[in-house]
Amino acid sequence: MIRFGQQSAFFKLIGEEVDKIIECFVIGGSAMMFYGAKEETKDVDMVFMEKASADKIKEVLHKIGFREKKSMMPIFKRYEEATNKPTMMVRGDDRFDLFLKEIITCKMSESIIGRVRETHEFGNLHVKIVSPEDIILLKCATEREKDRIDALSLMEKFNIDWNIVIEESINQTRIGEEVFPVYLYDFLSELKDDLQADIPKDVLTRIRKIAEEEMVKVLKRGKSVVEKAAKKKGKAALRAA
Amino acid sequence: MDIKSVAKRLDGLQTVASMARNLQVKRSTAVNYAWRLRKSGHLERVYGGRTRLYHISPEVKGKEGYSFYDILNKNAKVKISAKEDYIIHADRKPGVEEVLARAVASGRFRIVLASLGLFRRVRNWPQLAYFARKYRIERKVGALYELARKTMKVRRMDERTKQGLLRGKRSGYIIERVKTRDFKDVERKWSVGIPFNRADLEVYKE
Repeated sequence: MIRFGQQSAFFKLIGEEVDKIIECFVIGGSAMMFYGAKEETKDVDMVFMEKASADKIKEVLHKIGFREKKSMMPIFKRYEEATNKPTMMVRGDDRFDLFLKEIITCKMSESIIGRVRETHEFGNLHVKIVSPEDIILLKCATEREKDRIDALSLMEKFNIDWNIVIEESINQTRIGEEVFPVYLYDFLSELKDDLQADIPKDVLTRIRKIAEEEMVKVLKRGKSVVEKAAKKKGKAALRAA
Repeated sequence: MDIKSVAKRLDGLQTVASMARNLQVKRSTAVNYAWRLRKSGHLERVYGGRTRLYHISPEVKGKEGYSFYDILNKNAKVKISAKEDYIIHADRKPGVEEVLARAVASGRFRIVLASLGLFRRVRNWPQLAYFARKYRIERKVGALYELARKTMKVRRMDERTKQGLLRGKRSGYIIERVKTRDFKDVERKWSVGIPFNRADLEVYKE
């Protein structure tokens, strides 16, 4: 587990090692630590918009004793089909997950970038912290129990603007292949039923309606999401062969 | 009422009156809540003036790093209310000279306007020149210094530093493609487009 101070120390070290300014986005548990919503995290999730930056950080992490891990736990929905899996750098109990533009099923959209609340400068490493609304949305695409608890802690701490969460879920469906409102509805209903989260009833009704509409749209397009993914996987396998 | 839930309910900019209205309590109780929120780190005063404005946030800021906007607002007359905070993690607190150079390098109108006020606080001109060189904005800083001298009382920059700034690369504009018809003499001397007209700088004469 990585604590906040330890995470900052890692960022400082990386910032000193890189010779030019590198920007990255921090999501998940590490972002929550910046907001004071979490004490420690299992891994530091960094998202890069340029491959060169991700490669540079990978090189620096390698230099300070991290090694790339190939096998991963399938924490995301439809993880097996994903073609853009993160680079996982491990050193003992410390882990860095490096993503490029996408977080498995979710894309770093312009709107997510525009909602960034804080930028932290650690020498040449500039770390941008995504908004609590976006952290919740990203968490809804995973299948881990602790992500539900994290989302609950964010809801308790912040006044979540549900309009932003809903709009972004629609946006993600538009720019990606996943039917995000369905995931979101599933996730929030579970939170409300199992963990008694304070989610307004009208928000759930609205998301349910949107989820149904989005599903109909996908079905009308003639291809199910699963079919698309299977096709993509097939292509990848062909390319590999 | 639990202080965390109060902070959550009052998230954002508030006055004592709006706090009392939101919590449905008396004004004196709202003042007590403001005191408790401040003690627990949820409340910060934003602007001075006749009505005090408070920024209340459910999150308690850690003490790591130095906020660029906090330092800028503390030293400048023109205040910035930024949507996105910028925290600098360094061994030493950034001085006025560094913050000034960063503000000019940002290329954003209001931040550059606020930076003009920082010239009054600069004591170490060579250090300002050092940061200007670091961000490659020597001529921009020089031009803004002259502008500040025209509008308010600013200490004189030593000649050696001024000549150093004049040797900087010609950079065109302080704010991309923005220049006015005023202050042509400064523009000619430093070869930099000045984004402010006389009316913009009235704020420093009040």
